[in-house]
Order: sequence, then C-alpha cells, then structure tokens
Amino acid sequence: MRIKLTSLMVDDQDKALAFYTNVLGFRKKQEIPMGPYRWLSVVSPEEPEGAELSLEPNANPAGRTFQEAMFAQKIPVAAFQVEDLEHEHGRLRAQNVVFVTEPFDAGAVKLAVFSDTCGNLIQIYQPKKG
Amino acid sequence: MSSTDSSKMRRMPFTDTEFAHICRARDRLLDLSEPYWPIERVAREAGISHFHFIRRFQAVFGTTPHQYRIDARLRHARLRLASGCSVTESCLDAGFESVGTFSYLFRRRLGLTPSEYRRSVRATVTVPGVLSPVYFPGCLSLMASLPVSAFSQF
Repeated sequence: MRIKLTSLMVDDQDKALAFYTNVLGFRKKQEIPMGPYRWLSVVSPEEPEGAELSLEPNANPAGRTFQEAMFAQKIPVAAFQVEDLEHEHGRLRAQNVVFVTEPFDAGAVKLAVFSDTCGNLIQIYQPKKG
Repeated sequence: MSSTDSSKMRRMPFTDTEFAHICRARDRLLDLSEPYWPIERVAREAGISHFHFIRRFQAVFGTTPHQYRIDARLRHARLRLASGCSVTESCLDAGFESVGTFSYLFRRRLGLTPSEYRRSVRATVTVPGVLSPVYFPGCLSLMASLPVSAFSQF
C-alpha cells in the first residue's frame, strides 16, 4: 500500500488550476474531462514523480458544508513542506495571496496559513533541522 | 485611492477580527433566506469599507462578493433541479426574481440551460433522492470512471 494520491476540494476547477500552477508553482499532471467536471491533478516540480494532488470539484453539498466550516474555524485542510518559509511567504504575498496566519515559530516547525482562493486554508511549514 | 495604495492594502496581514468579519460576510452572501442585500450593505455590516471589502473578498475567495452570491444561488438551483423541481420553482427557491435572468446566468456559468440541465441530471438518477455522482461527485468518486491510460501515470 502506497500513498500516491491525495485530494483537495475546490469550488471552481479553472480557478484552482490557475492558483495551484501560476501562483503556487505546481505543475499540471492530468486533466481528463468527466461529464461537467475534470479529473485534474498537479504535482510539485521539485518532486514530479511524488504524490499527486487531485483538485476535486466541490459540487456535493456535504463537501461544501465541510469546507465552509473548516475555513470559518481557520483550520487548514492541507499542508505543504517548504525549504524556506520566509522566502515562500514573501513570494506569495507579492502575488496578493492572503495569509490568515503570518509565519511563526511553532517549536519543531515554522508555519504560516493562507487562503487558496478556492475555499480552503493551506498551511506551509518548514521543519527545523534536527 | 491610487493603485499602489490598493495593492498595498490587499497585501496587508489579515487580523483575526478581519478574518471573522469576512467569514460572516460570506455567510450573509450564502444565506438564501436573507433579502438580497446590496454588497455595500454587506460590507458595512462587516465593518469594512465597500471598496476594501470587494478587494479583500476577491483576494480570499478568488471572486467578487456579487459573483460569489450568484454562484451560491446557482448551486442551490442545481440541487433543486436535480431533485425534480421545475425551472420556475428552482429559480424562485434560489432567490432569483426573474426566470429570464436566472436562465441567462445559469447558461453563462454552466454552458446549458436550466431545463437542459434538469433533463440530463434526471437521466442519471438511478435511486430517487440520491444525487448522481456524475453531477455531485464526492471524495475521489470520479476516479472510478477514469480511462485505463490515466493510471499509467500514477
């Protein structure tokens, strides 16, 4: 058993593809039309054969309720690892990304949380060298 | 306000209070039982100036408050249509006042008219009361319909 795929619900797949590629810098891996939606996934350019992140249409009302509640409670639904948190924070801020939690030292990691414009909060973290 | 000012403002850190306000404003826009408040009034209730509210909302949710509310109403209408309501019923239930405007917005967003949508969704319903996963996919449910070639890339 391996973890090769994970997913995030997004409120609009076009918007999500633009954000996750143009802003975050991931690469599109798959885009397969499926009825009114698409099977859409991205990978990190730093790990093109690594886990794939599927950007799933959040059309189901149950998913929508979950997503809205997690957002309002300020709970991130995914966390991506970065080499240099300050650098990533500056790079994303320059592209008008809104951070709801500014970078802070949480002990074993430094972390920050931003809005992905598709209904989710995403955490980025930099583990401390130990 | 100059464009430099507004871009600075968009990049200002979000305070907990501002986050709570913008979430409450979003709830207001999502609430179909509320009267159709002008965006200016939603902004005022959130304690944010009209202009700043639109900019901030867009930076957080990727769309304007006005478009966000339309999308929420169209989503609700889709559910009603999928559960068998008529076009007029779905339109009014979602808070649209005219079927003409509703049909126009629906088609612009989804690429087909409400009645076309109703027919196609109803055709995929196998168990009454259960939403079709084709139109209302859940977590990873689309995967089952992927072509074999998709998995060669995994």
